[in-house]
Amino acid sequence: MSLPKAFVAIDLGSATTSAALIGHATGRWRLIAHRSAPAGVDADRLVADLVRRVRSSDSSLLAELEIDADASGGIVRLEARSSPPRRIAVLAASRKQRLRLAASARKAGWLVSGASVEESDLLVLARLALSRDVQALLLGADNSPGRGERRRLSDLAALGAAMRCLRPELMVVLAGGAAIHESIFAASGDTQAAQLLGGSDAANRRVADADSTLPAQQPVIVAPDPRRGQPSGSSLQGVLESLRGLPDDSRLGIARSVASLGHVLGRSVEAIEVGARAGLRVRAWPTGTTGFGLIPPHACLTDAAPAPGDLSDDVLDSVAAWSTEAVDRHRLADRLRELDLAPWGDADGDGATFRLAAAKGAISRLVDGSPELGGSPAPELLVAVGGILASSPPAAVALALADAVRPPGVTVLACDQARLLGPLGALTDEEERQGLLADLAEDLLLPLGSLVLPSGIKPGRSAGRLRLVSGTADAEIDLRPGTVRVVDLPPGQSGRISADFRYNVRLGSWGRHFEVDVAGGLCGMIVDLRDVPLRLEGPPETRRAAREALLRAAWPELGQ
Amino acid sequence: MRDRPPEMRVDPVEPLQWIARRRIVVRTPLINFTLGPGDGALVSEGDAVAPGVPLCERTLDARLVDVGRLSGPTWPVGGEAGERRRPPCPGNWWRGAGERRGSGERKVAWPPSGTLLYQAGGRWTAAAGEYQSILVSPIHGVVRAVRNGVGVTVEASGTGLLAAVAAGEPSRGCLDLPGLTDGDLPPSALDVSRAGRVVVAGSRVSAQAIGRARAMSIHGLIAASAGENSLRDLRAAELRQRASLAPPAPFGLIVLDGYQRRPIASPILALLAALAGSDVAIVTDPPMLVFDGSDLPLPEMPPDWIRVRSGRYAGREGRFLEPAGYRRFGAGMHLDGAIVCFADETEPTTLPFADLERFVF
Repeated sequence: MSLPKAFVAIDLGSATTSAALIGHATGRWRLIAHRSAPAGVDADRLVADLVRRVRSSDSSLLAELEIDADASGGIVRLEARSSPPRRIAVLAASRKQRLRLAASARKAGWLVSGASVEESDLLVLARLALSRDVQALLLGADNSPGRGERRRLSDLAALGAAMRCLRPELMVVLAGGAAIHESIFAASGDTQAAQLLGGSDAANRRVADADSTLPAQQPVIVAPDPRRGQPSGSSLQGVLESLRGLPDDSRLGIARSVASLGHVLGRSVEAIEVGARAGLRVRAWPTGTTGFGLIPPHACLTDAAPAPGDLSDDVLDSVAAWSTEAVDRHRLADRLRELDLAPWGDADGDGATFRLAAAKGAISRLVDGSPELGGSPAPELLVAVGGILASSPPAAVALALADAVRPPGVTVLACDQARLLGPLGALTDEEERQGLLADLAEDLLLPLGSLVLPSGIKPGRSAGRLRLVSGTADAEIDLRPGTVRVVDLPPGQSGRISADFRYNVRLGSWGRHFEVDVAGGLCGMIVDLRDVPLRLEGPPETRRAAREALLRAAWPELGQ
Repeated sequence: MRDRPPEMRVDPVEPLQWIARRRIVVRTPLINFTLGPGDGALVSEGDAVAPGVPLCERTLDARLVDVGRLSGPTWPVGGEAGERRRPPCPGNWWRGAGERRGSGERKVAWPPSGTLLYQAGGRWTAAAGEYQSILVSPIHGVVRAVRNGVGVTVEASGTGLLAAVAAGEPSRGCLDLPGLTDGDLPPSALDVSRAGRVVVAGSRVSAQAIGRARAMSIHGLIAASAGENSLRDLRAAELRQRASLAPPAPFGLIVLDGYQRRPIASPILALLAALAGSDVAIVTDPPMLVFDGSDLPLPEMPPDWIRVRSGRYAGREGRFLEPAGYRRFGAGMHLDGAIVCFADETEPTTLPFADLERFVF
């Protein structure tokens, strides 16, 4: 795509439609204006509104960008959209294989239901495959299955072929050792034409023109073993992701943009996205020419949505763990269901804090579900993406990231306020994307601040001292274990911290003395001396009070 | 803190277009009836169905049955003029031979029946059982798609009132709109005199009310909201009934708005009042109340009539006056504001645009 002087980046999310006007003005690409609205609002209306606002504030800019204010529909668009959630039935010969396959499918953004021949009756597997909400079947086995698994696998393949005959619209993926049964599926295509529609004896006598009524048959796809790839399972994840996502999928777009951003900034970058239907965690390291243009390791989890479809005990616990209100489980479930039905509703007052708690629960599940993306070293830049995080106060978002991600080290926190990472990832030309991001990085990343989070802090009166020296400030604080301190460091400023600990801690690396550069942001520099992972002690009321006190410090308007 | 200057973010020319639209009715909707392994359809594509016409046969105790080898071609298909035979394939209805069960006088022959499931090593396995129940159509319509073990799709000839959530089984009955007290119906009002009816239960329906309605043979409930725990209890009760091999009584529940208490919207209540006394059907996929005929007594509303969808004013209705610009709301959240005048007030109220909805017929 050859970019004109101005274009609109549109992100069509499950809950939110956002549009950003980007133009080449005064020698570089700039974010001119952006806004978002609930998904029901037409994107054309948003674009027209953006142009109207720019015209009312600086009409000469429109002329410079060669935009006809009366024909906003003519502006070039770069679109990305959230792929709708789809369900896959994972059928395996053994429990171990089911768990492996389900993990890959889950990280590829599928809703997963699963069963294995080892654990369940074949009738249970058939019920799963015939469910109306299932769009694909994933059958898998070890590359060199044992005798028991081999025997079960042949029954499983026969069942899979029969299910495909009944529901030709099902995509069938054969992973690992299941691929040796591909021929059974080829034969089932022939029987499809002979399938009878209608039921009992009387119905069996009726003519059923199967060819004209059944949906078109999907091809059988042979995929790699669920252990292949680095990290393990990523090869199968890639295949499943390509089957799930639309070509302009916004989550894959975010992953591509994060890789480009890492390359442009020369930093390791991690993005945490909390969407209405799924969450995404992606991590990229600065690369040379190797890995140029590749999608970095990522996990897209449907149960990392603020209100996932399956409200399991784990989901309710993870939200209750961050809620500042005493709320019983039934009421919590009702509020989450309401959030799912109306993601933009009740966004002020108590509703705003509940949405943030739901988002923190989602981030916790996302981090727990992608352990291979965590660990040391912490990313140098952590970007928050998604409607709830973009609309919450910056300090509360920074605290949410510190609470739920807990990257040990020094990390710059930012927020993709204009939801640009997804649409920019839709660009097919990697060099073009990098050129845009090099110019736009400052505009699109709203600086939240820096997070200093050492791990290995021991209980006691003081762990040492920290001094921040910046252009306008020189502050020194006592490092008291279990506390969170905020030091003022405005956006646009940078400083250098010098930390002296009484014992060895990990702040990127293990040591006692550290000197690190930090960047300013809307909430300054956060020094978090709580445990990694976070452990709050005491009865529930005490823990809730501690959470509320911390949140009130970051969000003083609470209760107003 | 002071509010930010009221920058006009919402288009002042067509501000109503920024309010979420809620479609209330849909004409000739497609209704799905889900089948599972062992279930067979009793209708064919193109058949006209009416309330009470058997749609499908459900096997309540489906299990895997070894059918053995079926030498094809087995199944006679085709009209009388050109009957031909086709080999068996998954989904075909199958009836087994009688099986001796029990001992002495209690020894009975009971042939299992169900659908063929899969073929492995030349032998067929069926999902079959001895107990079947018949699902009858609750609506008038034409069968559009039929697949044994998967489902039956019927294009209803009437109109559907869209709902947010449904639970239970498709059912049909006379629409009963009792007098509501503060928008609610006390559970004691669900008595045996309402057996066989579909009752409008007001703003919220509890697990107790659902249990009582089922015990009184009421065919369905309509409410604005129901708690997740009530819906879960209903699903569990259905599973228990199915496990007991007793044919499930037709009982359906549709929830018009969601999970948090709010009154039924006035246009919907007006529509239900107009339909009171006529036969309606509750269907669960999609969640909908279907009624016959397309000449609906649709209530007339002013074009700027809005309802609060969520937030502390949820359920209240009134007229949209004008956009309020970018305003500061509770907890310091800055959102696009709308000025509305509620029906029972004279003073205008400012609340977030995203909390509003307007109705579209």
